[in-house]
Amino acid sequence: MTELETALRQLGGELDYPPTPDLASAIRGRLERPTRLWRRPAAVALAIVVVAAIAAAFAVPQSRSAILDWLGLRNVSVVRVEKLPVVPATGRLDLGRQVTLDEARRRAPWLRLPEGDPDSVWLNESLPGGKVSLVWGTPSRVRLLLTEVTGRAYIEKVVAGDTQAESVDIGDAGAWFQGPHVVMFRDRDGRFHDSQARLARNTLVWQLGDVTLRLEGGLSKAEALRIARTAS
Amino acid sequence: MERARSGDEDAYEELVRAHQGIAFRTAYVIAGNAADAEEAAQEGFVKAYRALGRFRAGSPFRPWLLRIVANEARNRRRSAGRRAALSLRAAGEESSGGAAPSPEGAVLAGEDRERLLEAVNGLREEERLVIACRFFLELSEEETAAALDVRLGTVKSRTSRALEHLREAYD
Repeated sequence: MTELETALRQLGGELDYPPTPDLASAIRGRLERPTRLWRRPAAVALAIVVVAAIAAAFAVPQSRSAILDWLGLRNVSVVRVEKLPVVPATGRLDLGRQVTLDEARRRAPWLRLPEGDPDSVWLNESLPGGKVSLVWGTPSRVRLLLTEVTGRAYIEKVVAGDTQAESVDIGDAGAWFQGPHVVMFRDRDGRFHDSQARLARNTLVWQLGDVTLRLEGGLSKAEALRIARTAS
Repeated sequence: MERARSGDEDAYEELVRAHQGIAFRTAYVIAGNAADAEEAAQEGFVKAYRALGRFRAGSPFRPWLLRIVANEARNRRRSAGRRAALSLRAAGEESSGGAAPSPEGAVLAGEDRERLLEAVNGLREEERLVIACRFFLELSEEETAAALDVRLGTVKSRTSRALEHLREAYD
């Protein structure tokens, strides 16, 4: 190598490149196939319709036979259906009212907190035992949502063929849902509300003692598990 | 790689982490600014993921990826119609964390490096890019050909021409 070439290489090491951004995290939410239901505008446009059909399905005990019991989560049931019903992809998070982290801790002493403060904290007391939601981003543009319920509160998830549900090693029991699925919470009277059903993204659900935690966002499984393991 | 090809997002994320540095810097050299470089690299990684099915098993990933990222960067630079000069790190900043200077340290010091950089920035665009790819980013000739979307022979001839011009301007 000539002296000039050596000098050029050395110069290359001293160039003022801007720091490399965290591209792996930035593209995480964009790797799903573009045809995913929750991304289709039509799914949002049709939003409110058809939810009645799924509620009717829940009313018939036999149709629940496809529940995935093997996941081992006490307060979560998973129903597998042929085709997902059409529900809103966004909004209707039913977060309740905004509270401070201290108030959330007082009213829900069982609350488990992961590393990193959320941008806002919400409490919904219409669920038995209450439901606390930690939001990163804004309520209308949620980047990451951690929902925690305890005791008799109940989460129901409806998954279709292309949604993967697998057991993962976290807390007392955990499950990872990859792909779109419908999520519903049971209220104080033990009923599911049509209006609360919505389409969810990749989600990690796990159990810590009496608390059921649910982490949703454009996360990979590894990233979700990493965050989940910081919650204690 | 095989896991990523079969749609394993975690495996692809590992690939991205392994290559995001070189992808971003390549995009930066071509696009000329950080914002466009970030966008180009991001878009490139997403497009590469979607095109993994067409990636030939067993062939090296890096040139293939750099071709996609560089193409994105070129599109952005063309639409912006600008070209930015590379700049040097602030004088006195130790890139090696205070360790002893490398043996090459003696080759280039003080004003010399400013002058050399000025000479590189003064080259025609195509020569400047081939110098940046080969010596600054230390890409192989194959990778440079992929990034600049030219033939291997063109990389060789362009490099020697650019070195000649640099010698004239620098000496």
